[in-house]
Amino acid sequence: MAFWAAVAVGLAAAALAASSCSTSDAEPKGYDYRSEGALLYAEQCQVCHGEAGQGGLAVALVDGDYDATALSDVITATMPKNEPERCVGECADLVADFIVEGLRTEELACQSIAPSPRRLRLLTRREYGNTVADLLQGLAPQGCEVAMDCGFRQRCEAQLCEQEVCNQHSFVFDAGSRTPSSVHIAGSFNGWPASAAQGGLALQSAANGLWVGRFEIPEGNHTYKIVVDDSEWLTDPRALERSPDGFGGENSVLALSCDGGNGFDPARAFPPEVRPDGFAFETHADSALVNASALDAQLDAADVVGADAASRMLAEPGCQRDDACAQDFIRRFAERGFRRALTDGETAGLLALVQDAESFEEGLRTVAQAVLISPSFLYRSELGTKDGGVYPLTAYERATALSYTLWGTMPDSELWALAESGELVDSEVFAAQARRLLDDSRSRPSVESFASQWLGAEAIRTVDKNANLFPGLDEELRRDMLSETRRFVSNVIFEGTGALQELFTADYSVASPRLAAHYGLSADTEGRMSYANGNRSGILGHASILGTTAHSDQTSPIRRGLFVRRRLLCQELPPPPPFAGGVPEVDANATTRERFAMHTSNEVCAGCHKLIDGVGFGFEQFDAVGRYRENEAGKSIDASGTITDLEALGMGTTENYSSIPELASKIGHSEAAASCFVRQYFRFARGYREGLADRCAREWLEERFSEREFDVKELLIDMVLSPDFVVRQ
Amino acid sequence: MINRRQLLAGGGSALLFGNLLRRKSRRAYADHEGERAQRLIVFYFPDGIVGASQSGEPSWWHAYSEGGGVGLPAQLASLEPYKNRCVFFRGLSMGGTDAGSHPGGARKLLTGVDGGNGMSIDRYLASTVGADRPYRHINLGAMANHNGASGDKHISYPSAGVSAPPEDNPAAAFSNLFGDVQPGTGGGTGEPSAKARRRLTAIDFAKGDLERLRSDLDDREQAKLSLHLEAFREVELRLGGMGGGGGSTGTDCSMPYVNLDGVDQGLLYDPARFPAILRAQTDVMVQAMACGLSRVGVIQGSHHTSELIMSRFEGTEMYDPGFDMRSHQASHYGASHDLGHREFRDYVAQRTWWAEQFSYLLQELDARPEGDGSMLDHSLVLLCSEVSDGNTHSHDDMPFILAGGGGGTIRTGQLWQSGYHRHGDMLAALAHAMGEPVGGWGQNSGGPLPGLLV
Repeated sequence: MAFWAAVAVGLAAAALAASSCSTSDAEPKGYDYRSEGALLYAEQCQVCHGEAGQGGLAVALVDGDYDATALSDVITATMPKNEPERCVGECADLVADFIVEGLRTEELACQSIAPSPRRLRLLTRREYGNTVADLLQGLAPQGCEVAMDCGFRQRCEAQLCEQEVCNQHSFVFDAGSRTPSSVHIAGSFNGWPASAAQGGLALQSAANGLWVGRFEIPEGNHTYKIVVDDSEWLTDPRALERSPDGFGGENSVLALSCDGGNGFDPARAFPPEVRPDGFAFETHADSALVNASALDAQLDAADVVGADAASRMLAEPGCQRDDACAQDFIRRFAERGFRRALTDGETAGLLALVQDAESFEEGLRTVAQAVLISPSFLYRSELGTKDGGVYPLTAYERATALSYTLWGTMPDSELWALAESGELVDSEVFAAQARRLLDDSRSRPSVESFASQWLGAEAIRTVDKNANLFPGLDEELRRDMLSETRRFVSNVIFEGTGALQELFTADYSVASPRLAAHYGLSADTEGRMSYANGNRSGILGHASILGTTAHSDQTSPIRRGLFVRRRLLCQELPPPPPFAGGVPEVDANATTRERFAMHTSNEVCAGCHKLIDGVGFGFEQFDAVGRYRENEAGKSIDASGTITDLEALGMGTTENYSSIPELASKIGHSEAAASCFVRQYFRFARGYREGLADRCAREWLEERFSEREFDVKELLIDMVLSPDFVVRQ
Repeated sequence: MINRRQLLAGGGSALLFGNLLRRKSRRAYADHEGERAQRLIVFYFPDGIVGASQSGEPSWWHAYSEGGGVGLPAQLASLEPYKNRCVFFRGLSMGGTDAGSHPGGARKLLTGVDGGNGMSIDRYLASTVGADRPYRHINLGAMANHNGASGDKHISYPSAGVSAPPEDNPAAAFSNLFGDVQPGTGGGTGEPSAKARRRLTAIDFAKGDLERLRSDLDDREQAKLSLHLEAFREVELRLGGMGGGGGSTGTDCSMPYVNLDGVDQGLLYDPARFPAILRAQTDVMVQAMACGLSRVGVIQGSHHTSELIMSRFEGTEMYDPGFDMRSHQASHYGASHDLGHREFRDYVAQRTWWAEQFSYLLQELDARPEGDGSMLDHSLVLLCSEVSDGNTHSHDDMPFILAGGGGGTIRTGQLWQSGYHRHGDMLAALAHAMGEPVGGWGQNSGGPLPGLLV
């Protein structure tokens, strides 16, 4: 508690100095910005009136001299605009009370940083996969003679099972007592050839009736069969997953991905995370529910992982298949998996699972399965222990929060030891650990994951493109596009200046040779690609973004403009009215800009579209797959534009630009982009959308970000050092 | 006025078992004793229909009275064989909130509550009358998660404000459903396997962990864990040897089989494959229902404001390899029904195609005997989209079509038009037909829609 109080006082001073101090004499009453009225306001009114009532697309409400009853009547009769039915009666009363009592400068001024709500946060698929890999790593490596002794996605290397490389696979077939003259692999990746001569992957005969072969296979989800003597088509019994083959039998499934690490992703079949209302990240805690289909997938994963874990433990030389070995397993798998000390009851319960099982191995598998489907494993606990009016997180919870935020996985041994001893509660120890984690290379995939979600770049893998217009855009090139964005962002943050502005203004990127050729540029052996002709700038030159914000057959100034407004500036716009037109037809004689001109010539549309299109038109020199072009429909493309209200909606400012580098520089150096970046990272790290209740934490972060010259690494540190990171309410 | 926070204030149970406006009436339950719909299947398609246009032309989708019977427009020609086993609605409204919005409509569609701040009817029925089946709910999609579609893009809400993503992979759906259960035996399947026993033991332990964690939490987190606990119970029952309730449908469930021709698990988001994927998901649903694995299912075709390029559907009227016509793009066909506009022509063809896919589902259900008739006779099959006319985005005169006799509970073969009613009344009637007599469903619902139930 001492830590909390000390930091809170220090912060109060910093926050007060930073925020616009109230000149009013009125004493703040400590308005609760998580109240019902505040939440309703955020849901229904904020988009036009501003988060803190500062105005924007509609009048300012802050410090208004309103009578709550009269205001409620106005809301009931006329608000929200265009659908007054939505908030009437009690809703209108609550919102009116909030406006009158909460939207006051003296209330909004920051006295201290409020704790976040207590939450259980379901592990995302990425976090689950990383955690399972770490848990297995914490057990003995499994010994082997041949690949058959190892897991499906492993190979046997120097008598130890090792994870197979992400785009390779070791096939093994046990012919038993039979003596086939040939065995080959036929699958979706090689066109199901009937024989090795026709392209089947031929396995070689080895000792003990085994047939083996290791091959490079392209990334993707594949199905295959083992073909014996070119005639008998068999399901691979080692495969972890199967699917119906359409002939009443089953294919084996082989899923290879180099994105999320190397090898088997146990969470691959889990339902995708829910991202409500434009929340860009997979971390939204309130939407993460476990229903039966999720549980089914978890059980399937736990079967596989549990078998692996048990076999590793049994390979441990010291394991005598007795209670001592079982307890060792419980300590290494269950306790670390729960990320906290087990109670005596839990340890006894798990030990009983081993003792009651039919075999020792079956017992270990049962323990592993029980752990992997238990809420203590599946949810990150951010509940804390009550101390006065707040709930400071326990040392274990702090270790977990730190580790998942910066690494996307469970605490490593060093962090774990500090949690066990309780030392982590000390703010200096905590800060030193934060620095250690950030400096470790394991923080990179996390930052890359943030970047690809923030920018929506992942969708480039699946977004439709017309193959006649863009014949070269295959799966590999799409993967390279996503990879460019991930690598570029982590390069800037960890090897470049680390400054947010560089993400926007860099005159280089990181690309594969194919992607560089796609751009008409070239990359050196390290992958560094200079934007030699000066047309591109930072992330705004990335095909992953230019492609996902375009249609299948044409660009979309609207989507690109909205991308900048929502993702980069955090400016939300109300939905288009009914009767809004669709996409104008492609016209061989008109440029896209000409076709969309109606938006701004029609007064009803112009209100929002001047904000959107003025930005979106600037990207017109990049086609729907991110290639540079100078002409469209036989006319030269006008890539100039205006950005209205760059810093905040309703300000009435207008700035002109003539190229993307110029636009990128304006955005990159704006306060709005820096503030938005803080908001986006806050959402990613905390698992909810920030509200007024979080304004003081946000202001403190923004202030520090600015002081540290927008060094993103320092922001990540501040994000976990902010006092609301370790205290709940 | 009702909203998420008020529901939460009502406690976790309100979240789990429907919203506060619902009141049970046991009398109504008794009235329908013996006659029940066996199942509810919701079939969703995106971006509305050719409804009343902005310039006032009448709908091309809604049925009409004709010589004392029901007349079907050309768009619904594929439903002609089932006309007498359907109810065509006129005048059902989803209310004024968010009218003009696709997401707003999708949120209200099955919840009946503004902003999706209530459980959806399918989930409610799954957790009540459907709770004795191995799978309480089957949620299948065709490209419903395309490009990360999430949240308001999905129509099934297990909890207020939170939708659930459908399974987009027919092969995975099939093996999930038929992997663990020996269907069609109508009862226990003998001793659980070693794998099932291990799972049961694990679930038992995990339930204890959940109970410990559940104490000392606020309502929102409690509700999260309550749903988690329901998941444990559902899987536990299934693993404990609960078989399917099939057998009465005359379907051989010993060798479940679904034709996956044209489905490639690596190409689940290729628009050219969409028709094959949707058909496979329909087959999976019918097969699972025939084998009694569940009583409640949703098939979600794409999602609202769909980027699905329907001009890539080979062998259809829409096919044009030289032009990409997306669902949502076509839906903004302009102010009037003008066949001179390419968007409108395509939109008409697209909507006709969706009706045909619904007709295929009915055909498959009708091909399987059940009781004194076919599966269709004992089912409720609801066709729906999140808006009415695709260009105006109206939430009035919604394009619902209900098929199936509901086991004798539904007055089929009618054009239902009795003035303004909220669509929640119709959803409430479906619950009655399933044997779960709710007082109403969602906001401004007065009770089961009059004239629909026998």
